[in-house]
Amino acid sequence: MSAATQERSTEEAVLPRPAWGRHLIVLAVLTVLLIPLPLILPPATQAVAVRVLIFAIMAVGWNIMSGFGGMFSFGHAAYFGLGAYTSVWLLVNHGVSPWIGMVAGMVVAALFGVAVGFLALRYRLKGAYFALSTFAFAEMLRLLAINSDFVNRAVGYNVPLRREFSLAFMQFAPGAPEYFWMALGLTVVAIAVSILFLRSKLGRFTVAVRDDEEAAAAVGVPVMRTKILTIALSAAITSVAGAFYTQYYFFIDPEGAFGPSVSIQAILPAVIGGVGTIWGPAIGALVLGPLNDITATLLRNPPAALSFLQGRAGLDVIVYALLLILIVLLLPQGVYGAIRERVRRR
Amino acid sequence: MSLPERSGPPDAGPAPVGELGDSTAESPRSPVRTTRRRPSWALPAIAVGVVVVAVLLAYLRSGSTDVVSQAVVTGILVGGVYGLVAMGLTLIFGVLDIVNFAHGAFLTVALYITVVMVNRFGVYPMLALVVAVPVMFLLGAAIQRFVLAGAIGKPLENQLLITLGLALLIDNLLLLFFGPNPQSVKLPGDTAVPIFGAVTTVSRLLAFGVALVLAALLYVLLRRTRLGTAIRAVAANDSGAQLVGIDTRRIYMTTFAIGTACAGAAGVLVAPLVTIEPTTGELFNIIAFVVVVLGGMGNVVGALVGGVLIGLTEQLGALLLPGQSPLLAIFLVFVLVLLFRPQGLFGRTS
Amino acid sequence: MRKNWIVGLALAAPLALAACGGSAPPGTPGAGGGGGGTAGSGQTIKIASLHPLSGSSAADGQQMDNGAKLAVEAINNAGGIASMGGAKLELLSADSKGAPETGQSEAQRLVQEGAVAIIGTYQSAVSQNVAAVAERNKVPFVIDVSSADAILSQGYQYTFRLQPSGTVLADQGAQYLSDVSKAAGKPAKKVAILHEQGPFGTAIKDTFTKKAQSLGMEVGPVASYDPAKVSDFTTQVTEVKASGADVLMVAGYYRDGVLVAKAVDTVKPTLNAVWGVANGAFDLPQFAAEAGKAGEGFFDANYHLNGKNPQTQALMKTYQDKYNDQIRTGAVLSYDAVRVIADSLNRAKSADPTTLRGAIAQTNLESLVAQKGPITFSSTGENQGAAPILMQVQGGKVVQTYPQDFAETMYRYPATTGQ
Repeated sequence: MSAATQERSTEEAVLPRPAWGRHLIVLAVLTVLLIPLPLILPPATQAVAVRVLIFAIMAVGWNIMSGFGGMFSFGHAAYFGLGAYTSVWLLVNHGVSPWIGMVAGMVVAALFGVAVGFLALRYRLKGAYFALSTFAFAEMLRLLAINSDFVNRAVGYNVPLRREFSLAFMQFAPGAPEYFWMALGLTVVAIAVSILFLRSKLGRFTVAVRDDEEAAAAVGVPVMRTKILTIALSAAITSVAGAFYTQYYFFIDPEGAFGPSVSIQAILPAVIGGVGTIWGPAIGALVLGPLNDITATLLRNPPAALSFLQGRAGLDVIVYALLLILIVLLLPQGVYGAIRERVRRR
Repeated sequence: MSLPERSGPPDAGPAPVGELGDSTAESPRSPVRTTRRRPSWALPAIAVGVVVVAVLLAYLRSGSTDVVSQAVVTGILVGGVYGLVAMGLTLIFGVLDIVNFAHGAFLTVALYITVVMVNRFGVYPMLALVVAVPVMFLLGAAIQRFVLAGAIGKPLENQLLITLGLALLIDNLLLLFFGPNPQSVKLPGDTAVPIFGAVTTVSRLLAFGVALVLAALLYVLLRRTRLGTAIRAVAANDSGAQLVGIDTRRIYMTTFAIGTACAGAAGVLVAPLVTIEPTTGELFNIIAFVVVVLGGMGNVVGALVGGVLIGLTEQLGALLLPGQSPLLAIFLVFVLVLLFRPQGLFGRTS
Repeated sequence: MRKNWIVGLALAAPLALAACGGSAPPGTPGAGGGGGGTAGSGQTIKIASLHPLSGSSAADGQQMDNGAKLAVEAINNAGGIASMGGAKLELLSADSKGAPETGQSEAQRLVQEGAVAIIGTYQSAVSQNVAAVAERNKVPFVIDVSSADAILSQGYQYTFRLQPSGTVLADQGAQYLSDVSKAAGKPAKKVAILHEQGPFGTAIKDTFTKKAQSLGMEVGPVASYDPAKVSDFTTQVTEVKASGADVLMVAGYYRDGVLVAKAVDTVKPTLNAVWGVANGAFDLPQFAAEAGKAGEGFFDANYHLNGKNPQTQALMKTYQDKYNDQIRTGAVLSYDAVRVIADSLNRAKSADPTTLRGAIAQTNLESLVAQKGPITFSSTGENQGAAPILMQVQGGKVVQTYPQDFAETMYRYPATTGQ
């Protein structure tokens, strides 16, 4: 892994004071620009946009621990799922508003993250072993959920449909712009948190520990505490995505909450966009979110030259997989990472 | 260039039983500050002890020696297959540091090769090895050379996503070519065989037997041939190996190819035992990873033993915890191993 | 390095741009409901078919989509929707990939593209999601295959189901076992259960156990397994053998069904019958071929295409000719689903989804699937005519054996396993 840490830019570690301000301003401007988007887009594309935002939140959360913190997590589904299940359990069994449920989910996920982190770090796992342990914890949660009556076993939960739409219960008409705005709000807050995190003392400690743990310990950085707090933050942010996802799709089950595909979904956008960067996860989500749809659409109505491909099942997944491999191979630092390299070389 | 992380205070652990166990390329732990001496037979003895206890508990639970002996026999034989699948994976991880998520997909390719050979050309299933193994070897070499080579030295997540992408690609290409309908391969003369008070089938015994032979062959390859020595050298220290003139790129390619060839052999042997669909290989993926960690990454004999232990966990777990999925027991073992002995039963911290 | 960078960005950029441009055709604007409206002659009425065309259930998903296509063809060839000036049907096929999230977004997209009704989806979790979409968009959703009871117990008005619910399947499965075994002079005394651990298998196990016990049978041992990961059943079957049970009930999917047959053939427990309930393997011709003599005599109490119905036979032949494959019951259900919608369109004289929904609720239509009555829907959307029938593998073929009306031949009980 030594070569790997060299690849990552350490520039994020020492943000000169104005730089984070610049990032925040960019964020604000983007937000303002994006607000009218749902009013222009047709509902189907809105659904894609919301999906992009959910992926972005997951990836931003993952990036905090695995990008800035260098602790590669392959089990982020655990936090996503805990956010989802906590909020939906409270809603279905006690009628609690999903907003409160979301906060409760963040707490539960953070606590679980602390527990996982503590165990893994106490036994000093690193690299692929650390990653596999996170995976194992997520899988255990999944299996426990499947076999536990407390959370309805493998049946999962349906979000009850309400008569009237309400902000308090996060339910609106299908295709309503409110969903997009909620998701946008959550994403913006997540990115803002990641920017402020980097600027904060905890963030600087985290990056220092990632770059050279022994040196950081030697100058007095509280390594264990830093790592665990970073994991907790990462978990909390990802859990928000889980809670929102459940409200948006009206359904959650153990596979959709804790399954390996969820963990992968948290990793993909960050890698595509650029691990360890502020904008990487969001950019990656933007590339990946519509990718499936686009390939599926193209293959449904292919140009005349490729008409023999029409209607073949699995082809869109093949194209998706090929693009994925190509992007990871050709842009190992992600899209944003590559752009930044280019800009810096001038 | 910072120093490779594989060096560190030599922690005491058992002497390496495996082949690549001298110092694995990726040390699971950050440098340890304490030293603890433990005899080399301690850990395997503990494992055996745990198994014995589990067997006794299972007997108490089910009250029948027939059931328990069946569980043990099935566990060992099924475990042998797991070990067979994991052997290639552990080699790849031990040398190239790649967590190969496409391993199950390669296995599925071999399954379909077997289907074509047996159902289209009427070949005896085991003879499909003659075609499958070289084909998979070449496929693995090509993929490593043209796809994965670009990811060496890159962060873990990049490699992971590439192998994931490969798995998706291969699965869906198979879907495209062969269609989704389940296929099957029959082993002529496959009858029930009584063994130690339990029953099994010829195909299972054959798979187990060949797994043992394969493990032996790999062991000999790694210990007694020049290629094997080169592989172990690269696994231990690739810059050092380059310094003494070993072409590391070629070794990476060869090792990956051997790994996929192993997956190919596993596929042929497993073919009569499973229903063959494009997603069949995924079944073995996760379990193979658990086995690899249990046995020690890079340790082929460890993979076989680890496989047997996991097989036993699965079968005995089904008896001991009837309501739960046996996977839970497997993952519990997995987590325990990761926490307390991540280098596996037979590996060594370095 | 520089070239790589450019190529990579060139890849990423158009994707991002296309995202902004909209990935799906604009379709009809407006919230809620498809854009059906009233269709005059010459216009097409769009029906969405959402099934797992890829992934682990692709075999069934593709069959079901094919079944729907055949239905649309047949109806169009017969003149389309008569009461709407011969308007033709158009099938929009989509791939759910077996994932609830994909199913949901595809359903949303299809509604956006103007589908007035949806059929699908095979996996209960996916159907769950699509039902929510259907309800919120007020577009009728006719489930061909999905067994989870929960889908229709939330008071949804827009979802209907053709296959019998899990409760009906398990209940009748136990009843048939009692009837058949008593009639054969060897009433079932102790029934062991082997079920997949998901909601499907668990629900079947629960209902079956209750009914069997109320009919005087002892139930046990009960073992569950993970259908995605299981590779061998010899231990479980040995347990069954040791317990002295005379019947083994199995609720699971195709792959595990084959493994059970192999294990039973290896261990040879003394059983009177292996009794599948809604089993994904035991009533498939592929199973009979793959398991060979190991599957001989296996029963399955399941919904099944009616091999004695001439219309069904004609469909079977058409399917074989066109797709070179034997049709499965799922595809016949999809065929029926399209028929239900077409029939409802005819009665409604309108393609407005809400009106259509009302017409579907009034359906009274003969089915190509073996049922105890015509297709009619209860207030919760369940098909009241749906019921399982009993099949058995005899001589390498799957034959219908009970109840009398559907029996092609007599059942063989005991099924002589374990001899």
